[in-house]
Amino acid sequence: MPVDTKRVRGPDESQSPLLFVLPSTGKPECPQEGREDGRQRSQADVRPVFARCGLISQAKGSAYIEAGNTKLICSVYGPRETDRKDEVDMKSGRLVCDFRFAPFSCPKRGSWIQGSEEKALSLGLLESLLPAACLHKYPRSQIEVNVVALEHDGSVLAHAVTCASLALADAGIEMYDLVLGCALRQDGPSFLIDPTFAEESGAQSAGSGENQGRVTVALLPSLHQVSGLQSDGEMAEDTLVGAVKACIEGCQRLYPVIQQALARAVRRKAPPTAV
Amino acid sequence: MATVQISEAEKVYIVHGVRDDLRVDGRGCEDYRHMEIETDVVSNTDGSARVKLGYSDILVGIKAEIGRPRPMVPDEGFLEFFVDCSANATPEFEGRGGEDLGTEISNTLYKVFNNPHSVDLRALCISPKEHCWILYVDVLLLQCDGNLYDAISVAVKAALFNTRIPRVQISEDDEGTKEIELSDDPYDCMRLSVENVPCIVTLCKVGQRHIVDATLQEKACSKACLLLSVTSRGTVTCVRKIGGGSLDPESIFEMTETGKRVGKALQSPLMELLQKEESLGKKRQKVGFLG
Repeated sequence: MPVDTKRVRGPDESQSPLLFVLPSTGKPECPQEGREDGRQRSQADVRPVFARCGLISQAKGSAYIEAGNTKLICSVYGPRETDRKDEVDMKSGRLVCDFRFAPFSCPKRGSWIQGSEEKALSLGLLESLLPAACLHKYPRSQIEVNVVALEHDGSVLAHAVTCASLALADAGIEMYDLVLGCALRQDGPSFLIDPTFAEESGAQSAGSGENQGRVTVALLPSLHQVSGLQSDGEMAEDTLVGAVKACIEGCQRLYPVIQQALARAVRRKAPPTAV
Repeated sequence: MATVQISEAEKVYIVHGVRDDLRVDGRGCEDYRHMEIETDVVSNTDGSARVKLGYSDILVGIKAEIGRPRPMVPDEGFLEFFVDCSANATPEFEGRGGEDLGTEISNTLYKVFNNPHSVDLRALCISPKEHCWILYVDVLLLQCDGNLYDAISVAVKAALFNTRIPRVQISEDDEGTKEIELSDDPYDCMRLSVENVPCIVTLCKVGQRHIVDATLQEKACSKACLLLSVTSRGTVTCVRKIGGGSLDPESIFEMTETGKRVGKALQSPLMELLQKEESLGKKRQKVGFLG
């Protein structure tokens, strides 16, 4: 086979050079210290959140949320006639969730085709939102929720849940309650709430190999019900219980901000009151 | 998922039974159905197991192949999970119908094994950055009768116990070229320690109580389930809420406690059974699929 000598022949597969940077250039954090962005460990210290409704004019409802560098946008379409006619249960509506990472959102470029991680996140999102939506009010119809992660800097599912519930509320879909999400990274005896990407995937702090895990909780704040719970890693049972409690507290912290964003959107939409 | 439709009256009957700790088939709330386990059922695999829980029937085959380690973890091998929902189980799975359930289960299995203790991945490394063993864990659902996750996790654990990976050596000649050498003795195999492989316990909330190992009928009465994967030490490696309902935080804590207790209790008889079956050796009478 003739070889093109003028061309530099690279390897078939390319990898990010960042993978080959020696690890542990960072300091081995000791659990007493604070976190890189100045937040405290083992406290419900969530990142400041910016939320806004109604950015996408075409959609029935939409929301944008920003927590640190995690940025998500969500739009809600519907209720419209369901495209699945063979559905057995036509008495209640169908909620369809679609979660996607923008290809440039993660350190490594993703593809446009929905991967299995995105499918898992879509399912997690759907299961967290289902208990809140009054789907029996929308027979024979479906409501579509699309979430795109513009920038992934940790706790993406948690913020996606919050963002999607805000968009649903903005679309005027009847709901029992808002849904708020909060994530946590358990790191030995201490925990990091609302972790950044580095904290989420980072190596465990030196010494303790026990109790390493990630937890995401979705909460219906005024009903005080947990609508979504996911975890991985390995934790003792009491640590897990503590982590879930911390996440619930973290969700409660978010509540006023989200309420405010929603109230603002409603005020803007409402017709001027006739005095 | 394969679901059944049941009437209101049936629902009331089941819920009231669960309230009194007596289920339709006579079990208590924390009892499993009869479970059948058989390992080494498919000759072409490196490890296989078949588990029958009630009428749920799962076949797991594990194949080991040599591949490249992931660049992020150059000194570890890895596991790949594939779940196939065959249309034999229910007609709903025909075509692409079972795909969603399949990816859901395999994603859950990845999460269950996403911790450094479950399987010793370093043992799967042949030479760092170059070669490692990849274990392809293929799960086949032959019949669905509720509680798939628990049955699958037991089957995966049994198949991992049964897995034998050929021993290989790396030899280097004078010019520095490396070669992989396979041992001449076909019985010279490496085995995996399955001591820390977790088992999944799915708890379904029915009425005010939660039950273990729900049948399809009981599942239809439940709005929300909690899936926990528990190791023999009692640590929890994965939690997931399944279904369209929400749970009270208090009941989640109760369910984790029950899950941990049931999961721990499940582990030691399972290990005993696997060891006992192995000690029977070649003489063991094979039951096969239709036995």
